[in-house]
Amino acid sequence: MVFFIYILVFFGFHEKVAYYSYYFYEEIFVWEVNVLEETIYIRMRNRVQSPPEEKVLLKDIAQVIAPDEVLSHLQAMMIHQLLDAEQNIVIIDVMKVIHLIKREFGEMEVQTIGPAQTIIEVTYKKKGVSIPYFLLIWFLLFFGSAMAIMNFHDDVSMKSVQEKIYTIITGKKETKPLLFQIPYSVGLGMGMILFFNHFFKKRINDEPSPLEVEMFNYQLDLDNYVIIHENKESMKKISDD
Amino acid sequence: MISILAIIFLGVASGLAVGSGFVAFLTVLGVIPRLTQLSKTMKMIQQYEWAVVLGALTGVGASLREPVLHMPSFTLIFLGITGGVFYGMLAAALTEVLNVFPILVKRIRLDGEIAILIMAIVLGKIFGSIFQWVYFVHH
Repeated sequence: MVFFIYILVFFGFHEKVAYYSYYFYEEIFVWEVNVLEETIYIRMRNRVQSPPEEKVLLKDIAQVIAPDEVLSHLQAMMIHQLLDAEQNIVIIDVMKVIHLIKREFGEMEVQTIGPAQTIIEVTYKKKGVSIPYFLLIWFLLFFGSAMAIMNFHDDVSMKSVQEKIYTIITGKKETKPLLFQIPYSVGLGMGMILFFNHFFKKRINDEPSPLEVEMFNYQLDLDNYVIIHENKESMKKISDD
Repeated sequence: MISILAIIFLGVASGLAVGSGFVAFLTVLGVIPRLTQLSKTMKMIQQYEWAVVLGALTGVGASLREPVLHMPSFTLIFLGITGGVFYGMLAAALTEVLNVFPILVKRIRLDGEIAILIMAIVLGKIFGSIFQWVYFVHH
């Protein structure tokens, strides 16, 4: 139903291109002039990992769309020099990036899309996980949860409940209802694996497990915290001498 | 007469409190949504609610009246596994609600290996449970 005529007239105008568009739309005539400036689009990445003392270039911290003649120059533009003394998280605000781009390509328009800052995580030499440390925590969790489940069983008098169930089902008295207890114990572990959707490394289906969602949310909260607290520009005290 | 009415009222009131508490606990831990998500049976959620309610009522009947069914003893294996899986899911959900793993994994820089830590807890639970029933309770 939409019926429109699109007429293009263009002529040189301070190296900018002007499009005159003429729409015919439901008996209303619309004239529109689009003066297309040359535009640089940037989209900051969320998180970037970088080794220390590295020069951070624009292409590392943002996706860039720009006219071909300036693209390579733009991408190689240095935004930040990481110093060794610096803490392991640096926030680059999009305002700083725009400032630097405007200084070199003042006549171009900069459009930003997406997040307003990039978190640079300085990764010092990846320390391997220390094996004794890891084993300590593994056994801490192992015996900790073993103790916890035993205390829980004792607390809820599971032994007497199980003996009662045994008597209800079979009509016999049994002080060692192992026929019930061993499947119960294995099922306990199976239930936890089912909940976390992990069978050692193999997944039961491809949806993320609640734990992975939880890890993601935790990381998001941490990121939000550093964005506000490590970014000098996002909090300011106006001094009232 | 009035005392009978009072007893009935008290019974209904306490049952209401315990029952709503049980359902609230299950809801907070999100075990049923998790199961429907794994099995892709969101539409059957109403049936699952009834399963929980009827199961709870069966449990009430069994613990209050103690009937004797004289069934073969291998049915206990089925009961044991289902009970165990249910408790395991509750325990896992509780650990997850308490947000233990994300913090632990961050602290010891073990980002890729959460599965190993989960296995520590899972195996610990199985070990603790079997140890208790086979050895511990008889001493």
